[in-house]
Amino acid sequence: MIHFISKRLKHSLVLLFMASVVCFTLVVSAPGNVAVLIAELRGAVATPGYVEQVEEEIGLNKPLLMRYVDWLGDAVRGDFGISYRTGQDVSADLANRMLVTGILIAGSAVIATLISLALGFLGAFWPYKLPDRVSRGLALLGASTPTFFVGALMIYAFSVTFQLLPSFGFDGPKSWILPWLTIAVLPAAVLSRVVRVGLEEAMTSPFVLTAKSKGLGRTAILFREALPNITPIFINALGTQVGLMTATAIIVEPLFAWQGVGDYFLAGVRFRDFMVVQACLLIFLTFFIVVNLIVDLAVLLTDPRIRRQWS
Amino acid sequence: MHDQPLLDVSNLTVNLLTAKSAVRPVDGVSYSVRQGECLAIVGESGSGKTVMNFAPLGLMPTGVTTMLSGSVKLEGRELIGLPEAEIQKLRGKSVGFIFQDPMSALNPVRRIGRQIAEMAELHLNMTSKAAEARALELVKLVGISDPAARLRQYPHELSGGLRQRIVIAIALAGEPKLLIADEPTTALDVTVQAQILRLLKDVQRRLNMAMVLITHDMGVVAGAADNIVVMYAARAAECGPVDKVLVSPRHPYTRGLINAIPRREDPIGLEFRGLPGIPPTLGAPIKGCALAPRCELAVPACGNSRPPLVRSDDSAVLVACPVVNQGKAAA
Ligand SMILES: Nc1ncnc2c1ncn2[C@@H]1O[C@H](COP(=O)(O)OP(=O)(O)OP(=O)(O)O)[C@@H](O)[C@H]1O
Ligand code: SF4
Ligand SMILES: [Mg+2]
Repeated sequence: MIHFISKRLKHSLVLLFMASVVCFTLVVSAPGNVAVLIAELRGAVATPGYVEQVEEEIGLNKPLLMRYVDWLGDAVRGDFGISYRTGQDVSADLANRMLVTGILIAGSAVIATLISLALGFLGAFWPYKLPDRVSRGLALLGASTPTFFVGALMIYAFSVTFQLLPSFGFDGPKSWILPWLTIAVLPAAVLSRVVRVGLEEAMTSPFVLTAKSKGLGRTAILFREALPNITPIFINALGTQVGLMTATAIIVEPLFAWQGVGDYFLAGVRFRDFMVVQACLLIFLTFFIVVNLIVDLAVLLTDPRIRRQWS
Repeated sequence: MHDQPLLDVSNLTVNLLTAKSAVRPVDGVSYSVRQGECLAIVGESGSGKTVMNFAPLGLMPTGVTTMLSGSVKLEGRELIGLPEAEIQKLRGKSVGFIFQDPMSALNPVRRIGRQIAEMAELHLNMTSKAAEARALELVKLVGISDPAARLRQYPHELSGGLRQRIVIAIALAGEPKLLIADEPTTALDVTVQAQILRLLKDVQRRLNMAMVLITHDMGVVAGAADNIVVMYAARAAECGPVDKVLVSPRHPYTRGLINAIPRREDPIGLEFRGLPGIPPTLGAPIKGCALAPRCELAVPACGNSRPPLVRSDDSAVLVACPVVNQGKAAA
């Protein structure tokens, strides 16, 4: 157990290091001269002399390796530098935005889990009957509708037509519902199939015959016998979906005028604000790695067979 | 009333319909088991032993339509035609089941203690605490050492023999009157087989249960059973007390089976002495005697009509072979 955790932690650290190299390289190799950009943003004429001055100021004239070490050293301490565009501290901006994106992803993950379990169980309880077909149809629909379109539909239905929920902004739980639902649709659809297929497979296992011979009913067998068997698979799939939510956040945050990391990233890309892009990328990748670590540990806790391999 | 058998099966026929096929794995079989008695059911693979015992209790896999006719009475209560909800109440409570493969019969991600205790909660209306205590008793009863630790373990942490003991503990947890053990030792190590069989026999006697023991192994029959039903191609070929049937088998198929048991005086490398040929498929009902193509006593009349299971020269033994039975008349 300890062995597994320490191994997984080391693995994650290596991944984090690789992620930082990727972030740095991507941004350094992006086209466009940052110094010129900054000079222009400051309203100065980008004379070669001034550009040189800017380069020196932000350390662009140093060798690449030095720049990487500097950047990483700062990043590890939580300092992501100054936004080229606004001159603001990137870390200060990010702190706030991470909370926003955190709320977005956490809420969506909970909703996706609940919806997918409900749909999956419905299908598994009445396999190939109407509830199963409805559940499958919804999953197909949910998985094939682009997220921005889902968001637009949500706004149209709940804000414009019924005027139940605000269509944008980040103030209070009521304003969180639509963004949550928007992001949750795709993972809920995908996960509902994981639940449905996993349960069906579990229900054909020989131990289900034992369960039946004990006098357990269908509901008890589904919940007590089959569900614990799909928990590890479900957690795995949920982890992947939560990781992917960072990408969806980039689309959904601007749609609902949320100032989260996704929105920040998008703005950074648009204005070639590389400090911001770099920081956001690193945050996303770190999130991915941490989620994977949590998933591995959770699987370890829910599957005694795997736990045994590592004890 | 006391003389009434606990399980009374008469003229049971089972038809199975799947999307692809229709078979009749049980064709007009009758037998009965009394309290405290052990009945062995033997026969080749595919002769319908499992279906015959599981189908009337609703234990068929999904995707198969089961059609039952005849009569199966448990403590005088007719099971055929009983709604599934009623049969569910009997499973675990009146009838305990033991399966062939203990490796797959237990849920891999649930603690053994829970898997036993839930039976006591369900059938004896115990609180979960009382049920845990009952689980501990049961695990001791089936001869497992360090019982408290076992209850906290998961199935994969135990050996096959221990797992089969757990399966037996589960089967006993509802205090059933009848145990149905479907080849309970086949999947186990030879060294463990005898132990498990002894345990089964021991609890059956001690708790005075009736037991149906499905097996391929004549040694098992001799050691554990009071009566025997020999199945061939969905039908009963011969049945009677074990000491009589094993000592002087009458039906040609039973003779073949017993003849096939390796003997101590066999020279090493002796060819297997089984019956030649293979059993028929169970797709279409067979008109005459199902054994006719493989039977050395067969006469042309054997293909005409199905031989009835009737008393032989020993009134305790029933044999479905007119040739053998008439030999008795002639003698
Ligand atoms: N789920 C099923 N679907 C379709 N046919 C089945 C099914 N189960 C059993 N059968 C049919 O019933 C016949 C008897 O099967 P059964 O399992 O009762 O045999 P058995 O005597 O228990 O054999 P074994 O010794 O191998 O366990 C099989 O030959 C098969 O044709
Ligand atoms: S009825 Fe005929 S074929 Fe069948 S067992 Fe008897 S002799 Fe053999
Ligand atoms: Mg069988």
